[in-house]
Amino acid sequence: MSGNVERPRIAVLVSPAVHPVSGRACAGAADLAALALGQALVASGAPDVFYAGAAPDSALADYLAHGCRRLLVLRHEPDQDVSASLAAAVRPYDLVICGIRSGGGMSSGLLPYQLAELLGRPLLPGLAELSLDSGTVRGAQSLPQGEQRLLEAGFPVLASVHPRAATARPWRFAGLAQGRIEVTPATGCGLTECAFEPERRALPLRAARAERGHERMLQAIAAGDGQAAGLVVNQGDSVEKAQVVLDYLRHHQLVDY
Amino acid sequence: MALRLDWALSVVVWLGALLLAAGLARRLALWRQGQPAPVAWSGLLAMPRRYFVDIHHVVAREPAIARAHVMTAGGAVAILLALGVNYGLMRYWPVLDVVTLACAVAMFAGAWQVRARRRAPPARLSRGSWNRLPYSLLLFAAGIALIMALFLLGPFALSRMFGRALAALAGIGLLLGGAELVLGIGIAGPMKHALAGLAHLAFHPRPERFGGRSTGLRPLDLRRPGLGVARAADFAWNRLLSFDACVQCGKCEAVCPAYAAGQPLNPKALIQGMVAAFAPGGPEYAGNPHPGQPQSSAGAVHADIVGSVLAAETLWSCTTCRACVEACPMLIEHVDTVIDLRRHIALNRGDVPGKGSEALANLRYTDTVGGHALAARHHWAVDLDIRVLGEGMNADWLLLVGEGGFDMRYQRALRALVTVMRRAGLDVALLGAAETDCGDLARRLGDEAGFQRLAATLIATLNRYRFAHIVTPDPHLFHCLKNEYPAFGGNFDVHHHSQLLAELIDRGALSLTAPASGGGSVTFHDPCYLGRYNGGFDAPRRVLRGIGVTVVEMPRSREDSRCCGWGGGAAFTDIPGARRIPDMRMDDIRASGAGRVVVACPNCSAMLEAVVGPRPEVIELAEWVAERLAVDVP
Repeated sequence: MSGNVERPRIAVLVSPAVHPVSGRACAGAADLAALALGQALVASGAPDVFYAGAAPDSALADYLAHGCRRLLVLRHEPDQDVSASLAAAVRPYDLVICGIRSGGGMSSGLLPYQLAELLGRPLLPGLAELSLDSGTVRGAQSLPQGEQRLLEAGFPVLASVHPRAATARPWRFAGLAQGRIEVTPATGCGLTECAFEPERRALPLRAARAERGHERMLQAIAAGDGQAAGLVVNQGDSVEKAQVVLDYLRHHQLVDY
Repeated sequence: MALRLDWALSVVVWLGALLLAAGLARRLALWRQGQPAPVAWSGLLAMPRRYFVDIHHVVAREPAIARAHVMTAGGAVAILLALGVNYGLMRYWPVLDVVTLACAVAMFAGAWQVRARRRAPPARLSRGSWNRLPYSLLLFAAGIALIMALFLLGPFALSRMFGRALAALAGIGLLLGGAELVLGIGIAGPMKHALAGLAHLAFHPRPERFGGRSTGLRPLDLRRPGLGVARAADFAWNRLLSFDACVQCGKCEAVCPAYAAGQPLNPKALIQGMVAAFAPGGPEYAGNPHPGQPQSSAGAVHADIVGSVLAAETLWSCTTCRACVEACPMLIEHVDTVIDLRRHIALNRGDVPGKGSEALANLRYTDTVGGHALAARHHWAVDLDIRVLGEGMNADWLLLVGEGGFDMRYQRALRALVTVMRRAGLDVALLGAAETDCGDLARRLGDEAGFQRLAATLIATLNRYRFAHIVTPDPHLFHCLKNEYPAFGGNFDVHHHSQLLAELIDRGALSLTAPASGGGSVTFHDPCYLGRYNGGFDAPRRVLRGIGVTVVEMPRSREDSRCCGWGGGAAFTDIPGARRIPDMRMDDIRASGAGRVVVACPNCSAMLEAVVGPRPEVIELAEWVAERLAVDVP
């Protein structure tokens, strides 16, 4: 464990996203959650926020509007690997928070892993919750179908967060003038060649038994006492039919009158 | 004895004048807390006309109380002038005593009528010190009348014990009643309205409204810090003055759709809240509060207005329908006040409630309120073979459809409008994907930055194309282009479709050969942004008359029309109330006995269509015109 346990140094990583309808630059949902967490965890409410890449300042303005006071930009040439310069910049920090993946560009979600590898620090990936407890970061990792897994690690550590991990501060026009973007030129090597392959089709789900929906429904309403099927009432008026339903509910003690 | 009494009255007159001046100076210091504002001193010269013409137009809607006011105020002013000349300048002409006596009798009669009304006052009136006022006025008038009568009777009357007692009594009445008049402005009593009201007329923040209409919002300088109004001192000084003109008659309260719906907005309490904010320690507000909110507390000059004298929900309840402004006899601008306060919240805090924030974000990223792709705005026209204006092309009429283009119900109206325009032989074209939002919603929700960006975008787009006129069925878009874009360098010849349709029918350009469908009576719902904002009351009625439809007018129509509840982004902020505004409007429509209501706005259409049935049918103006053409709308 290193760093100041009482006043940890926290860095937030952000990058511009592409709006799904208009294609305009905007803030990424997961990066906004990371920013909001950073703002909540730092006593001053203003964590150090980093961006590394070639995007112009205008594409980052949304983060200022969402309450980022100071955005440190490592300005790269387009199509460069930013992980090395970013790793060097965030090395002094106890906790580095970023979104699970950017909302634009490659959106591979690999950067947190690359940084963790370069820094030799643990990564808590895909957190839906994050809390600090005297030098320990605890988080709930968001898994498919609503499942969660509790993770924890000591400083220094990286965490990538889910878009739902925190609610961003509202977009404020005044924030554009209150925050500032500080640009430092940076260099990185070219991106490693990657080969694109077509997405593999998931196999369609097949029902275990080929039956019609009506048959499955009849099985589903079968009583638990071994009877094969429920009772189908076709005769009588609505009062008599309702009486059958009421008797059934009373028999199973589902109503108490 | 008589001479000494003359002198005594002279002393009283001068003392009164001094007290009045001291009170005015005190109030002036409060107004000067506000920001500097450019005002024309020529307003002082225009004041009589503004008083006797512009205010009279509003006040005369209630003839009984207007007459009572003419007698009371006219009497009081004449008495004060006569006293000033006769006793202030120590002339002691008996003829002026006769005039003063006559005026006092008139004033007494007027104040008596005011008192009678106060015995069972309408709920909209404030009580408190306003209930005291008629008695003070009666005392003053009676005192003056008695003294003048005694003077005219001469030394003989005052030589008697009875005469002296009467003179003493009259003196007491004069002093007590006169105190109300001369101290009114100093102690912020009801008579504050007289001087503040006159000064407000002279230095009105919207001098253009006299002899015309001035309804467009003022641009906000986004480079200056502050952005909107947070504290009372952020208002311009003449805006603070305008709040002091309020007579708490509650006419705004009576017409406010949000107040009627039980939403937490009472325009009168709003204005009195502003008074409490810049002049704390005044008399307690004794009118109805914002529904569901505690009685507004005393403000503090340096405290934020929102959170001290009013809650943010109060601001977000406003539909900006201008019914209050239209009804206000003191010509106070309530909507400007709401928007200035909203601007501060939206730009500095960003917490616009309900779906407001989402709509603003959509506008920011997609230039549409609903977050749609721009190319989808004209999907309804894909089979109409209508031209999309390109660079270098020419069109006579450019049809801007607004956000209604995304609404499946309203698309029927748009198709009908295109059909009608084509049958009239007009050369009509659309903007296609180049059409962006006009920014009306952003501006009403206080996002002035968003509005100015959207306005600049649309103005730049329109300047790139060649066309003669713009027509739009959306009154909000119409109002923005007509009244608010000129401030940003956008000057276009823009028409609401009701104006164009009326002109086409007047000209006989449409052959209305098909029979009118449906029986039953029909009423017309005036859109606020066409009617009160732009005076477009007659064109839609001309269209309906032209196609052979007789309109049954609702009691609340034309200037008094009730908002559908959409305006000002109220449909987005959606502040809860006891009822929904469109339901109340539909009740107005039902009460008229009409089976159909004609609308001329995509938002009115959406709000009224959303009222649960059974209810009268909602039909768009253009749809009905198209029905009378012997052609099917494709």
